[in-house]
Amino acid sequence: MAEQPSTDPTAATPAGASVIHDLGYRPYTGPRLGPAAIARALVVTGFRNAFGLGRSGKSKVLPFILLGINLMPALVIGGVMVFVGLKELPIGYAQYASTTQVLLGIFVASQAPVLFSRDLRHGTISLYLARPLPSRTYALARWASLLGATLVFLLLPILLLYAVALLGELDFGTQTGDAAVAVALAVLLALSLTGVAGLVASWSTRRGFAVVATIALLLIGNGIVTAIQGISGEEGHPRVGEVAGLFSPYSLYRGLMSTWTDTDGPTPPTGTAMQAAYLVVLVALSAACVGGLVWRYRKVATA
Amino acid sequence: MVTVTRVDTVVQTRGLTKDYGPVLALDSLDLEIGAGTTGLVGANGAGKSTLLKILLGLVPPTGGGARVLGHDIATEGPAIRGLVGYLPEHDCLPPDVSASDFVVHLAMMSGLPRVAARERAAEVLRHVGLAEERYRPMGGYSTGMKQKAKLAQALAHDPRLVLLDEPTNGLDPAAREEMLGLVQRIGRDFGIAVIVTSHLLGELERVSDHVVVLDGGRLLRASRTDEFLDATGVLLVEVLGEDAQARMADALNRAGVATVPRGRMLTVDAAARTSGETDVHDLIRDTAGDLGLGLVRLQVDHRRIEDVFADGEVLRG
Repeated sequence: MAEQPSTDPTAATPAGASVIHDLGYRPYTGPRLGPAAIARALVVTGFRNAFGLGRSGKSKVLPFILLGINLMPALVIGGVMVFVGLKELPIGYAQYASTTQVLLGIFVASQAPVLFSRDLRHGTISLYLARPLPSRTYALARWASLLGATLVFLLLPILLLYAVALLGELDFGTQTGDAAVAVALAVLLALSLTGVAGLVASWSTRRGFAVVATIALLLIGNGIVTAIQGISGEEGHPRVGEVAGLFSPYSLYRGLMSTWTDTDGPTPPTGTAMQAAYLVVLVALSAACVGGLVWRYRKVATA
Repeated sequence: MVTVTRVDTVVQTRGLTKDYGPVLALDSLDLEIGAGTTGLVGANGAGKSTLLKILLGLVPPTGGGARVLGHDIATEGPAIRGLVGYLPEHDCLPPDVSASDFVVHLAMMSGLPRVAARERAAEVLRHVGLAEERYRPMGGYSTGMKQKAKLAQALAHDPRLVLLDEPTNGLDPAAREEMLGLVQRIGRDFGIAVIVTSHLLGELERVSDHVVVLDGGRLLRASRTDEFLDATGVLLVEVLGEDAQARMADALNRAGVATVPRGRMLTVDAAARTSGETDVHDLIRDTAGDLGLGLVRLQVDHRRIEDVFADGEVLRG
């Protein structure tokens, strides 16, 4: 028998209730944490679950394979830097995410259902809703877990490249500035991808459907936008491509990347208004998706 | 033996109404539920599950109000949900998580710190009777084990009240007995108030101190279980022998005691006899003896909860 926690023994037992010890059931008299602590615990568990930790062995396979492949180019670059010694990184910090966008899309699409569809499919959501956290906080906690996992996916390679650059004795100021811009861009991309994938997954009780729908939305959407941008660039109507770029998180990312760094995409946004529009649309998309999630779970709670 | 002496009102509703538009799920329900185990009876669609969701503060009522453990459902939902455990009717267990991990997680979702959550999870899983299998993924559990895991999560945070929605649904007879035994222990030995729904009335007769009967969103009756089962003044008589039932009925009628056949038995309304001073028990015994019949049953006829529905039909006539 474990010791009773050394708090006020009457805390969880209302006055007048006689309590039974001899039959084996012991009431809990220890502390009960508030909603902030509960939400934090939910975020941490969700973050671990997104990488398959705390779940079955085979659910760890996909996220870690994707993470491994995603880091591969950075590791190769690191090796080349150490043995050959280059004057600059062969790939920009911000460009990295653009290069591995398919991996990123698959990761977000496959892990969002782990956090959102699973509870809906197995009915576990009703156990969460029967507990103190309001549906809004539940939705935000799930979203935060996915955001954290996506950020790990996006920021690890940047961190690795940055370490390689410093070990290769490249200019500290330039590298730090470039890396900081890449981190800001990565956060914006993670916000939008998390929002889109989370919202799709929260409407689907079937994992497969959520994965396919998210990949279609992110990767095929990006493919169409890229095609339009390519054609409009060739045909001499770059404005069409610039507007088309507003319709996919990846093309918004590329547009802002070419605005804030010296990499060039097919039809980068020209003029302050268009560049601002890219930023506003990316942020607004993320915010709208979070709003949609909160609304969705309010509907689930009162159904 | 320690008895739990709590007289506090656990649930109190006033004019509670839920109008879903085409369906009136609850029709101005006035209800008071105290400590101990309360059975909530009603056919499908009688408003049982709706009532539980409203009491959890999840679904807002369209009229009236309710207090659960002294908290208002309209404004203090989170406080109520911190003190109440809920076992839903449908599946709610993720298949790839072990019962142990799952109960720990849900105890933490009720505000217990991680270390305390682990201790509580181990304890409630022991109480519900999940042994070594609690470390296996729940996808491989039998229905009985799943119901136990669902019950364990409802108890994990040591609630003051548990709402059990059809806990015996889908269980085989042995598992059903075990679950009913657990429900009874929660209300009696654990000192936790229990509201349990079932459409099998016989179950609730056995485990609950009080029975609330809902019908079409209205309160049909609420009282102590033993009042439901009060002796009705009717005796059941069963005799063996050649043409026993008819001869016995005939003889009793001649002695001034009216009989009504029920199956292989006769019912005798002791209160409605028309003549004679001898005790009706003696009369039945002597009559059987005189006729040379074997008297194999002479017992008081207890009502069953089903009868209340019949009464209700008459009342509303």
